[in-house]
Amino acid sequence: MTSKTSSAVTFLPSRLQSMLRTQEGVLLVLLVVIVVALSLLSDRFLTVNNLLNQTRLLTETALLALPMTLIIISGGIDLSVGSMLAWSAVMLGFSWQLLGLPLPLAVLVCLLTGVVGGAINGLLIAYVRVPPLIATLATLAIYRGFSFGISQARSARGFPEEFAFWGQGQIGPFPTQFVILAALIVAAHLLLSRTGFGRWVYAIGNNELAARYSGIPVERVKFTLYTLSGLMAGLAAFIFTSRVTTTRADAATGLELDVIAAVVLGGTSIFGGSGSIIGTVLGLVIITLLRNGLLLTGVKGDATFMVIGIVLILAVLVNNLVRRR
Amino acid sequence: MISAKPLESPRSSFTLQQEGVIAVAIVALSAIVSLINPDFLSANNLLDIAVNTAYIAVAAAGMTMVIVSGNIDISVGSMLGVCATIAGELARNGVPVPIAFAAAVLAGGALGAVNGLLVAYARIPAIVVTLGMLSILRGGLILVTQGRWIESLPEAFFFSQRSTLGIPNPIWVMVLVSVLTWLFMKYHRLGRAIYAVGGNAEAARLAGINPKRIYLFVFIMNGLLVGLAAVLYASRFTAIQSNAGQGFELAVISGTVVGGVSILGGVGSVMGALLGSLLISQIGTAAIFLKVSPFWLQAVQGGLILLTVLVDVLRRRRMT
Amino acid sequence: MAVPIIELREISKAFPGVQALDRVSFEVREGEVHALLGENGAGKSTLIKILTGAHQPDSGTILLRGQPITIPDTRQGLKLGIAAIYQELSLYPDLTVAENIFMGHQPSNRFGMVDWRQMQQRARALLHELDADDLDVTRPVRGLSVGNQQRVEIAKALSHDARILIMDEPTAALTQHDVERLFEIVRRLRARGVAIIYITHRLEEVFLLADRVTVLRDGRVVGTTLEVSQTNQAELVKMMVGRTLDTLFPKDPAIPGEVVLEVRNLSYGRTTRNVSFTLRRGEIVGLAGLVGAGRSELAQVLFGITPAQSGTILVEGKEVRIRNPREAMALGIAYVPEDRKLQGLLLPMSVRENTTLAVLRQLLRYGFVDHHAESRLTQEYVDRLQIRTPSLMQQVANLSGGNQQKVVLAKWLAAKPRVLILDEPTRGIDVGAKAEIHRLMNALAHQGMAILMISSELPEVMGMSDRILVMRQGSIVAELDRQSASQEAVIAAAMGASELHLV
Repeated sequence: MTSKTSSAVTFLPSRLQSMLRTQEGVLLVLLVVIVVALSLLSDRFLTVNNLLNQTRLLTETALLALPMTLIIISGGIDLSVGSMLAWSAVMLGFSWQLLGLPLPLAVLVCLLTGVVGGAINGLLIAYVRVPPLIATLATLAIYRGFSFGISQARSARGFPEEFAFWGQGQIGPFPTQFVILAALIVAAHLLLSRTGFGRWVYAIGNNELAARYSGIPVERVKFTLYTLSGLMAGLAAFIFTSRVTTTRADAATGLELDVIAAVVLGGTSIFGGSGSIIGTVLGLVIITLLRNGLLLTGVKGDATFMVIGIVLILAVLVNNLVRRR
Repeated sequence: MISAKPLESPRSSFTLQQEGVIAVAIVALSAIVSLINPDFLSANNLLDIAVNTAYIAVAAAGMTMVIVSGNIDISVGSMLGVCATIAGELARNGVPVPIAFAAAVLAGGALGAVNGLLVAYARIPAIVVTLGMLSILRGGLILVTQGRWIESLPEAFFFSQRSTLGIPNPIWVMVLVSVLTWLFMKYHRLGRAIYAVGGNAEAARLAGINPKRIYLFVFIMNGLLVGLAAVLYASRFTAIQSNAGQGFELAVISGTVVGGVSILGGVGSVMGALLGSLLISQIGTAAIFLKVSPFWLQAVQGGLILLTVLVDVLRRRRMT
Repeated sequence: MAVPIIELREISKAFPGVQALDRVSFEVREGEVHALLGENGAGKSTLIKILTGAHQPDSGTILLRGQPITIPDTRQGLKLGIAAIYQELSLYPDLTVAENIFMGHQPSNRFGMVDWRQMQQRARALLHELDADDLDVTRPVRGLSVGNQQRVEIAKALSHDARILIMDEPTAALTQHDVERLFEIVRRLRARGVAIIYITHRLEEVFLLADRVTVLRDGRVVGTTLEVSQTNQAELVKMMVGRTLDTLFPKDPAIPGEVVLEVRNLSYGRTTRNVSFTLRRGEIVGLAGLVGAGRSELAQVLFGITPAQSGTILVEGKEVRIRNPREAMALGIAYVPEDRKLQGLLLPMSVRENTTLAVLRQLLRYGFVDHHAESRLTQEYVDRLQIRTPSLMQQVANLSGGNQQKVVLAKWLAAKPRVLILDEPTRGIDVGAKAEIHRLMNALAHQGMAILMISSELPEVMGMSDRILVMRQGSIVAELDRQSASQEAVIAAAMGASELHLV
């Protein structure tokens, strides 16, 4: 059996072969298969309009997945991102509607809320040294609690029309948030793969003690990562609010799992030390296209959860098998 | 003979275990709340807290095994939903209630076995496997139930609403499960092997313990206990909602971790997990007695989880 | 002659790319200490793994008391009475001493319920045989000294009623004091008829302890098994490396310059107490003492990992504060830690990424890593330290122990330190690489670097140091110069004179 598969692989040029051994390679093949299959199943799938529209739905998850990739590579995890998003969104609505702040100032409050939430995580994890899974499990409950407490479970709505630009508008042919997201993807990729900070993130994820013994400011790097995650949650909250035109305390419940699924699907090791932004983006695209494509072909919305779960396990399984050879 | 003694940390016979910290916290909280509202300490209220905790604590016993072995299971919420639905659907369609209950427990065991096989033999990290399983079961459940609630269940189904010898059934189950799993973890060779694998899997392998079998075992046990928790959960109210178990994984993991089970594996006890789960429920009830707005409840609960974890972290730091 | 308790005949084992063992034959008798020598990569670990059942040979036969057997897994190996004590101890830190000894075969009833009381009694009995009655069997292993942890390991092997005990470099992490105790235990076991396969890098141990010796090189037995009484160090070294080494410790006398580092009354917790000493340009100062005497802890205070709680540090005469490794680095202090895998290396990352880790800031342009400058710098140190690696992008995990240690050295030399602290710089690396590192230390001292060397290997301390500081219980208890120092004097100081019944 082994000889059969290996002879099949030797048909391929060696460059392609080695690419297939990475998770990114596996994902790329998977992506092509999905696109071909779905466009055969539905003629509404492979249209520019449909695909661009999908980026609107993808943005919030993607914004959170970028810092999550770095955090997981550093050997941590942030479970509180969904709650931070909700808390930030509630603060936006609250400060605008109840406190009567001008909208730009309310947006600033929203972003700052995310930063504060992330910084608290960062303090707990980097300086008090609470294990990340536990620290963010607790703040997941706390920030969600803040969302309900502050809003008293009431939603804010009635935002002015120009506010809709960020979540519903266009820049040229592109949805506004697609442009923002694209810029941030490039920035995150460069940060992780090209800068000294990125190298530190990998070093900490591979061997935190050795990193510390090499003079890397481990605490500061971790603190920065979680704060960055908070900032992105604030930004995602802002775009989310603009898209759905209301702020609710139960927004983005369970979103952390989507985010982590995308990052892990993208080949980032859950144990830290390896992974890439490109992988995460591929993971996000696959999840989004699957969801959309299945909906268009008439599969019930909730069933797509099933497919995504299966894809997640299969992708890691295939990657394990490929690497073991 | 030479008698120079190298410096060693003294034996930690004096230090308080996390179980002790939580027990003190429970007593202290009860004392404070009862000063403000004496009804808090009424038998009825205490029984209520215990009944509300029972299905969490039963699952927390299984979670303790999983976490001590160095793994985690975040699919328990979805599993609870699936098992509860299986019990309800079977009973509603005329299957005798004991068989419906047994089917739910066995279904949990089967799902746990799938998790365990993927973790142990396909070598996929537990958090990834159970994250995937969470999605699969959640999606599958809604697909099958189409979001409908399960109602018009037979009278015999409501096991959790009844009492035996004056004590509500869920409490019996909780106590029985906790004591048995505690004894098993503390005194049985297999139980000790779970600690060994979680503490140093390579050493355990050299001692002839097969870590893969231990992983499979803990996930199956966890599945069975989640199935049992699902029975307790499903038989409490007159209807089973299709989104049953959402967020349950967080309650179970919180209780376990607050009870001193180390997320890094190899350390912790079922009693700790039981006390941790009780404390979290008690905080919820206390907040109601103190007339905290229900909307702030989750924040208070989260804050107190964080507080106990911080106490534990600081206490351990002082020890080293 | 009696039938050997275990015999290997023509055992071969290949891994992708390497012939780890090539028709290896050797035998061990009851009541014998059989030393197994060889440089890293000579095939010793593969041999152990085949004997314990962790690996299966590709060909060849294993005979136990003359009967051919197969050892399908470690569990079966233990049942046959074959136990191994590895260099990296395999214990459960949070479980008790008794449980560590009996895990997997606890005394239990037919339902599998463990009898804790009996287990503790039997653990005490086993430790008594090892003359380690002072060990409390109910305390967790976490926090025990390395020597005591090793005793737990030996007790574990004895609990399996091992008749064949394999010890893989058991003294590598031990102090002289614990080494003596270990030798005593080994001799006791031999007297009881246990067959001991003793693997070591330290030739002198062969002559102190072993009855016979077999040398492995490149997966083959060199010559034949020798009676220890009929060979000498020079012959064994020649067999191991295939050439003669003039001397392992090529130390030239230093010409010490001005004082670079001076510490006065430095204290941290119970592990560093009122430490004062000076370090001059161009000298190598050896720091000797028992494990747990506070040597590594002192290094960590100097490097800012556990900043001093009181006392003064002067660098080139100026008083400084060192609160973290970055501040230490800024002052020109570098620390090559004791455990290279745990504290030194990013194993899955490349030679290049490891080499530049401590100086990455100097290689940044607008925050971005300048890959060309990075490669240039790495190449420079790969050449200078003769690091044997197929490329700069090779994963450090795939290098040999000696080359890994050189990568850690390269990382710190790239930082161009004035003061270099080396913590066990040659632990667990082969004779050839060891000599190279010693030569390098010499050259660095000649160029004016001040070197503080922590070592538990007395010959290394004696051979390489211009001065020797001896620590005991967190304090410096003696300072000896090169001329007046003797091994006996160092040991006496390390153990406290009143406790000295040794020598």
